[in-house]
Amino acid sequence: MTTTELKTTGLKTDEMLINMGPQHPATHGVLRLLLTLDGEFVKHVEPVLGHLHRAQEWQGQNRTWFQYQALIDRVDYLSGMFTSWALSRAAERIEGIQVPERAEYFRVMLSEMNRITSHLLWLGTYLIDLGAMFGFPFYPFREREKLLDLFEAIAGQRMMFNYIRIGGVMREAPPGWFDKLKRFTEEFPQRIDEYEAIVTENPIFLKRTTGVGILTKETAMAYGVTGPCLRASGVDHDLRTFRPYSVYPKLKFNVPVLEGDGDTRARYTCRVREMRESNEIIKQCIEQMPGGTSDEMRKRAAAGEKIEDPNWQLTGKKQNAGLRIKAGEGFEAVESPRGTLGCYVISTGGDTPYRFRWRNPSFCNLSVLSELLVGSPIADIMAIFGSIDVILPDVDR
Amino acid sequence: MSHDPASAPAAPESLEPGRFGTFLADKGIASKRLSDSCGVETIEVSADDLKRALAELRTNEETRLGLLLTISGVDMADSIDSVYHLRSYYSNDELVVKVVTPKASIPEGRLPLVPSLANEWPAADWHERETYDLVGIRYIGHPYLRRILNPWDWEGHPLRRDYRQPVDALNDKNPHSFR
Repeated sequence: MTTTELKTTGLKTDEMLINMGPQHPATHGVLRLLLTLDGEFVKHVEPVLGHLHRAQEWQGQNRTWFQYQALIDRVDYLSGMFTSWALSRAAERIEGIQVPERAEYFRVMLSEMNRITSHLLWLGTYLIDLGAMFGFPFYPFREREKLLDLFEAIAGQRMMFNYIRIGGVMREAPPGWFDKLKRFTEEFPQRIDEYEAIVTENPIFLKRTTGVGILTKETAMAYGVTGPCLRASGVDHDLRTFRPYSVYPKLKFNVPVLEGDGDTRARYTCRVREMRESNEIIKQCIEQMPGGTSDEMRKRAAAGEKIEDPNWQLTGKKQNAGLRIKAGEGFEAVESPRGTLGCYVISTGGDTPYRFRWRNPSFCNLSVLSELLVGSPIADIMAIFGSIDVILPDVDR
Repeated sequence: MSHDPASAPAAPESLEPGRFGTFLADKGIASKRLSDSCGVETIEVSADDLKRALAELRTNEETRLGLLLTISGVDMADSIDSVYHLRSYYSNDELVVKVVTPKASIPEGRLPLVPSLANEWPAADWHERETYDLVGIRYIGHPYLRRILNPWDWEGHPLRRDYRQPVDALNDKNPHSFR
């Protein structure tokens, strides 16, 4: 029987209150859902958050700027580059630090790599959520591993990078790094073709996702949803093109916006297309990098050439542990894999921010869940929840 | 580390109304312009006018500030602010709205009161719950004003400047706890 047939049989059962989680394998963290069920169908959902609350805002207010930089990658552990970037941009804007162009290219390049790793992990785990038990999840992880190796080589860490710093970036890439990245960007489109060959037209996948968890434009906008979820619902809103920051105006790329329902399949399509665009951005970054690759820079230094062009530096202003930011307040946001990741800072001119506030895309996107789940069967809960791509540490902070 | 309330930012002097301030004045809503936050217009409205002002800013064709990014509570030296960051889905406009409750006007042992937007604007729902939880602002008219990040039976509001952590926060002694 299909869901509509089940609904129209007119059979009534008592409502049931069921607790889902917090230790549910498909919640990618710890989320508890209090479900009110009418037979198989969800009547009401109450997400219970806070199991991963680590008081990130309090910690920000009680540490120096320099100390807190090392912590913020944990806010959203799958896209640490973006959290560092949001904080750095807010601090730079209040202080008025000019970041060199070369550093901006490094930031864009590594952030886009980070976007690919985040989407790849989502793709693998989402297929598990849908019940793909044929080993598919390991294919995206194969490519993700290559990117994580590159991150490890440049930042010293595979996930908690702490690479983007206030005023610039941490350091140059090691020898041969750019060649490896170039090779990766050349072969990656074919890898995406492989995933798409398995997933996109897969009849089971289509049955599980088409028309499931429909998020209309109006609902998405009322709830403040951003990122791929919003673009899959047909709203063209991407900070990279809408409110261009950093060196994005110099790069050519499309923002995939899907017309139509905004169901879970649209969200899948949007993310897969985004990975291709990110790959193009990385390619352009390698080509346009001011001063050339790290190897070329090293060659120049070895030949005794002095690098004096301010655009070719890695930091605008060398920061030390006693870093102070001028008094003032500011809000800065970047487009993270999950949406608008913002950072609201009030500084009093000391070495500690007076007030620190995160605007997390996961938190805002998750609030729409209670709207999406109502009326869907239990089996679809994880298909819908997974498609929003929520990272629980990002929700709870 | 600056826990000292005296180090909070000083109150700015009065300024000419900006674009959105003028827009609100045309609709008969009074607002006061504060010093810009990094070039973004910042206004203060009274708690009574808040709902009307934000409804106008959100739906009017001229402004269309339909994206409520965050609601943040800030414990300043002599006031508790509720800060609304508004942006638009259609243009580059940006506005910061503040509702300032002077600490002198809050009765001893009570929370500051600000009207809730959650019924009309679902985006405000969880942000208001979070601000209530962490900063302690009571949003009047919120359908479900309950702690969201801290446990349900937590005491105090951790992002207040005068907050002191419980002596034994990890080992809960409350037999009725939900944890």
